[in-house]
Amino acid sequence: MAPEQFEERRKLADLSFLIQGITFTVYSDGRGTERLFPFDLIPRIIPNSEWRRIDRGLTQRVLALNLFLQDIYGKQCILRDRKISRSLVYSCAHFRREMVGVEVPKGIFTHICGIDLVRDSKTGEFLVLEDNVRTPSGISYVLENRLVMTRIFPEVFQACEVLPLSHYPAELYRILRSLSPRGEDDAQIVLLSPGIYNSAYFEHSFLAQQMGIELVEGRDLIVDGGIVYTKTIHGLKRVDVIYRRVDDEFLDSLTFRTDSLLGVPGLMGAYRAGNVALANAVGNGVADDKAIYAYVPEFIRYYLGEEPILQTVDTYVCAKPPDLAYVLDHMPELVVKAVGESGGYGMLIGPTADERTIQQFRNRVSANPRNYIAQPVIPLSRVPSYDPSSRRLAGRHVDLRPYCLFDGQKVTIVPGGLTRVALQRDSLVVNSSQGGGSKDTWILRGEG
Amino acid sequence: MLSRIAESLFWLARYIERAEDTARILDVNYQMLLEQSQDSYHLRWEPLIVMAGEEQLFRRLYSEVNAENVFEFLAFRQDNPGSIVQCIAKARENARTIRDRISREMWEDINSFYHMVTRFSPREELVAGPHRFCDKIKFGTHRFHGVTDATSPHDEGWQFLRIGWSLERAEMTSRLVDVQYQNLLDELPTVGAPDNHQWMAVLRSVGAFEAYYRQYHSSIEPEKVAGMLILNSQHPRSIRFSTTEVQSALRAISGTGPGSYANEAERLAGKVVERLSYDRIEEIFKQGLHSYLHELSQMFGLMGRDIARNYFYYAVVA
Repeated sequence: MAPEQFEERRKLADLSFLIQGITFTVYSDGRGTERLFPFDLIPRIIPNSEWRRIDRGLTQRVLALNLFLQDIYGKQCILRDRKISRSLVYSCAHFRREMVGVEVPKGIFTHICGIDLVRDSKTGEFLVLEDNVRTPSGISYVLENRLVMTRIFPEVFQACEVLPLSHYPAELYRILRSLSPRGEDDAQIVLLSPGIYNSAYFEHSFLAQQMGIELVEGRDLIVDGGIVYTKTIHGLKRVDVIYRRVDDEFLDSLTFRTDSLLGVPGLMGAYRAGNVALANAVGNGVADDKAIYAYVPEFIRYYLGEEPILQTVDTYVCAKPPDLAYVLDHMPELVVKAVGESGGYGMLIGPTADERTIQQFRNRVSANPRNYIAQPVIPLSRVPSYDPSSRRLAGRHVDLRPYCLFDGQKVTIVPGGLTRVALQRDSLVVNSSQGGGSKDTWILRGEG
Repeated sequence: MLSRIAESLFWLARYIERAEDTARILDVNYQMLLEQSQDSYHLRWEPLIVMAGEEQLFRRLYSEVNAENVFEFLAFRQDNPGSIVQCIAKARENARTIRDRISREMWEDINSFYHMVTRFSPREELVAGPHRFCDKIKFGTHRFHGVTDATSPHDEGWQFLRIGWSLERAEMTSRLVDVQYQNLLDELPTVGAPDNHQWMAVLRSVGAFEAYYRQYHSSIEPEKVAGMLILNSQHPRSIRFSTTEVQSALRAISGTGPGSYANEAERLAGKVVERLSYDRIEEIFKQGLHSYLHELSQMFGLMGRDIARNYFYYAVVA
């Protein structure tokens, strides 16, 4: 294809996103501005054989994380067997005491997981970078990216057999419906969103529309006698399942933050009584805490009796004194992350930071070691991407977030996931909030 | 349907209608005043502020009632919640919260309308006069009606849109007739009847000028003009037509047939429609136009309140 032709199609893609208003909101400028998520037209291709390994590795990981959550809010065998210290678990900001002893529907905590992978450019191996098991977002971009690609390059899709992923909303809907305490036929399912000012609001309305369920805000719901209802023009209507995209601490002002207007007072009571199901479960944050991350390989061995298929990044847990000493000494070589943050916020990349920033982080880490971990810099792999300024292809750093759905028995992972790309040359940060873009991810049928 | 969604649809439509009505009144009055002498100038601008229901706010913001101030106040002021630009912004905000529930075309239309309106520079428009701006607003709201009618299912949600714009229109028309009539009579007591230009402007502002001539084949007579705006069964901006729309939408939601009512709003709508169907303009003038319209306004207010109570609000459960 000639460069002009390609440029033409690229503009077509941008226009398509613009007209549909597929945007996200950034807060760094203090006002919350709507922005387009930059899209790179060159697909990223992952060989089928490699994908099968990723699929097995993620399945194993999701099962282990779910078992860990069941255990930690249940019998706590892993604490008694001293595989992880009690204090590390209890000091996690997202550990929810209110969940201890709660039997969640079908034993599922992690209905939806987005697990971030990176490929180490030295070894060529995929590593797990972090787990997102609270309210992971981004799947709408995966689905929309594919839609735009098939519209713009129909001929390529006819030539290559790319594994489809459009069944995601249907599979999610099936899982949500299966959680209903009143049986599947009567299941009333809603998606609870914080509202239009949330950065992922587009995704919330997209998924609600795709699944044909009601998009609600906290003020649309009411709890009466331990039952959750929506307020409709023809009276109150009972709700069975809530796919909630509101964080734990805002869910119920009677249980968590009392100043929250985003949630529903009394919701936790209804949830604990088993009158309503929530996906994901409350308290999952203890499993994707970045310090707990270091122990997930141990969870896999402990709960499943298997060796981890996917490796993790070496992690220094600053809560441990020897690790802390190492981190303070070697900060310029390390990536330092706050354990409870996501989206690329609260993070230091040692090798590119100036001395002042490093000193600031040293002070922060010493003041609150539990809140930080550090990892060596992973040389992220690069894949060919289009550079609009030179109108040529150039290597850009990428990561990959596959989306895993768990129905209590099996884990379903739509082939591919969100490939985020650092569109700036040499940048290692791929988060959309930090100027990253995305590209379609292709797993080809049969080959390899 | 969720109460919040019904409420957003109702207000979305109301704000769109209010923007259009304000644009119409502003445009027509401005044009008319160009043909008038300067001495009674401020007297003629004042009714516009009264119609907008924002006299106090206006006096806080401006020391003088003149064309430019009124134009700026009604069209652009951020701190006037009823200004045209604010109405469009609020309509868009309501649409945005329910974008998964309205047609994509509707959302894209209102979204681009909003961006178009905010691109106007008040300074330039104040020099150019309101016609160009008001024309764009009218065009934009008409397009919104067309897009809505053609792309969204005519379901319960659509009925709430219909209630929103019809109720707002009924209120605005009744205020328009009331304020204009009073003002014109006060102003020129010796002449006996207000001059025709004023009444032509009133007709034009609701787009009924040509229709009036077709129906009455006569010169402009204030009584007939008032009769047309209040009692005409076919003109889309008459009070009777708009109230009939409200009644029909309310019935579609509750499933009530003719001759009965499911709630207070329906009862009031039925009562008003009945009066407007059988009253004659001579009787209305005998009773006094102002008191008649004042009663109607009160009924519209009560209707709005009861619709909210019935469909939008839930008492807090302790």
